[in-house]
Amino acid sequence: MVSEKIDDFTKIQQLEKEKRILIKKLERSEKNCLELEQINQRKEFFLRQIIHELEDSQREVKEKRQLEQTLIELKRTQAQLVHAEKMSSLGQLVAGVAHEINNPVNFIHGNLTHIQQYSQNLLELVQLYQQHYPNPVAEIQGKENEIDLDFLQIDLLQILKSMNIGTDRIRKIVLSLRNFSRMDESDFKSVDIHEGIDSTLLILQHRLKDNRGCSEIKVIRNYGNLPLVECYAGQLNQVFMNILANAIDAIDEVNPKTTQQERKENLSQITISTSMIDLDWVEIAIADSGGGIPESIKKQIFNPFFTTKPVGKGTGMGMAISYQIITEKHGGELMCFSTPGTGAEFVIRIPVQKKVYNLV
Amino acid sequence: MLKSVVCHSNDPDSLAAITEVLEQCHDCLSGEIPQAAILFAAIDFDHTLILHQIHQQYPEIQLIGGTTDGEMSSVLGFEQDSLILMLFCSDRITIRAGIGRGISKDLQRAIQTAIVQAKTGHQDPIKLCITFPESLTASAVLILDSLNQALDKQVPIFGGLTADQWRFQQTYQFFGTEVCSDAIPILLISGEILFSHGVASGWNPLGKRGTVTKAYQNILYEIDRKPALEFYHHYLGKMPPSSEYPLAVFDVDESHYYMRAPSGAYDPAVGSVTFFGDIPEGAIVQITETTHDNILTASRRSMMQALETYPGKVPAAALYFSCAGRRQILGSRTKEEYALTQTCLTQALPSCGFYTNGEISPLKNQKISCFHNETFITLLLGGE
Repeated sequence: MVSEKIDDFTKIQQLEKEKRILIKKLERSEKNCLELEQINQRKEFFLRQIIHELEDSQREVKEKRQLEQTLIELKRTQAQLVHAEKMSSLGQLVAGVAHEINNPVNFIHGNLTHIQQYSQNLLELVQLYQQHYPNPVAEIQGKENEIDLDFLQIDLLQILKSMNIGTDRIRKIVLSLRNFSRMDESDFKSVDIHEGIDSTLLILQHRLKDNRGCSEIKVIRNYGNLPLVECYAGQLNQVFMNILANAIDAIDEVNPKTTQQERKENLSQITISTSMIDLDWVEIAIADSGGGIPESIKKQIFNPFFTTKPVGKGTGMGMAISYQIITEKHGGELMCFSTPGTGAEFVIRIPVQKKVYNLV
Repeated sequence: MLKSVVCHSNDPDSLAAITEVLEQCHDCLSGEIPQAAILFAAIDFDHTLILHQIHQQYPEIQLIGGTTDGEMSSVLGFEQDSLILMLFCSDRITIRAGIGRGISKDLQRAIQTAIVQAKTGHQDPIKLCITFPESLTASAVLILDSLNQALDKQVPIFGGLTADQWRFQQTYQFFGTEVCSDAIPILLISGEILFSHGVASGWNPLGKRGTVTKAYQNILYEIDRKPALEFYHHYLGKMPPSSEYPLAVFDVDESHYYMRAPSGAYDPAVGSVTFFGDIPEGAIVQITETTHDNILTASRRSMMQALETYPGKVPAAALYFSCAGRRQILGSRTKEEYALTQTCLTQALPSCGFYTNGEISPLKNQKISCFHNETFITLLLGGE
């Protein structure tokens, strides 16, 4: 009986405690609800502000990117203008020099025939004198000995022949310079691509010979049967010049690192192959035996201002402009293939006939 | 050897609560006389009555404590409106209490008084200090600086600022039978005590950074030459600055930061915001935010840090000081915070803690204590 009473008392105490706790929790719950609402409001506002800030920041980044892109374009255009102006001046200079040399060379070359004829006549006359007056006076005999008449008669004709060859070469070089600069042909014109390549090679001749501290570079021409191609000939020659000059640089870079034996075994050479892809397209492939282009660099070689050459040696614009000339001005393709250690090959593909392009 | 006992009652009635707590103590101690005690009590209790009841049972006990924003223990887990008493028994560890009053009027003197009092009776060098200072009347950073100086920067200090359930009106500190405000009670511990700690937060900076252009101690007047209140209004609308959104205060190279939480006090006329800690002029600040998961992960991290660095075999007690801002955000998930710390343990450990208006502990692997906001601090204690 007593223990039952104690149990009841304990239970009552427990229930009273629980009641007190519940009352306290109820009081608190109202306050908690209010706090929760405020927390939510704060969180909501906070997140909204953060989203606004994020949007602003994204807008700023976008504008900044656009500005950066515009700046890159501007720099590119500026560099192209400078380069184009330089090439134009160079072309004018080359054309001017070629023109100025052309006249006197033609004058010399044209008169050489007469000199040859006059010399022949004079020599024949001398021979007639010698025939009819075998014993001339002592003074004549003395002069004959002094000038070594017999040698003079043989050498004079050889000199004239050699002069003829020399002026002929000058005329060809002048023709190549005019062909290369094509100042007289700024518009689209049907030209012989091989002629342009040969002219470019002639201008680069001094860099291909072995008298420049490096071994000779052999040029292999695998020319196919190409029709005349409609193009900006001067600009296309500029592309050939850029690719060939880079090929020579790549070979020269490898040469000092190899032994004479290795150089003998692996000839320094540039192979130029031309072919028709189909009736509408021609392909010009220029391959070199240089060190090749690493994969990481290959992606960048057509980017403006990209160069692997030492400061002051390369502008980084040559390949970028070449790419633009081929793709934008001729609607063609310029590709680079390379496996490091086995050289590089640049392949140009252009249409045979002019299409309508957006000219830059 | 250190023996600790934790007793916890969630009865809102003061007499019933302390009676229940003291009964638990009596059962757990098996006749041993405790040397020192820590009391955590909700704000609405009759604290004087509670302290006198304890004094009646343990007249010689060295007791400090304070009011809280929430309580947690190995007896009941997380509770609000509850009462926790932790008792320490040891014959090889000396624990003495001291109190400094009027910290807003003469901080240095108050601290000196507390230290002189708490140093009495120690034979060995002081190894550890535990404190529960007032949070609403003085700068916590200045309090801690003074305490560090007074202890020659040789003694690690742990604890939390007393709280009042997010009302920011009146908090109390306990010393013996005395209920104080504007005071700093301390426990100084010497002898064969072993301890380790962990500290973690879970808050991350977000949004725009600003430079503090005008501040005095813990009152922030201007950020980027505009009223500090505007900075908060930008993110929280017209709602008052809240300690859920503390400021990250960056160091010179803007790579590391510590946090300062608004105390709830602000001046709309001047545009100033009062914080629980000082913010220096010239500092770079950024608002911070968190998620429930980040907070809870940090609590467990704090416990793990303490366990991994504990110098003895098994700790005899654990104390937790968690920021009231954490409880405010966690809401009904607050109980998970304490529960997560227990998942790190392989056996039962007497432990308790409270939700504070600011935490005190050294940073990880450091000796000198700092003032923190929005952190969870674990302090493990044991005897050699």
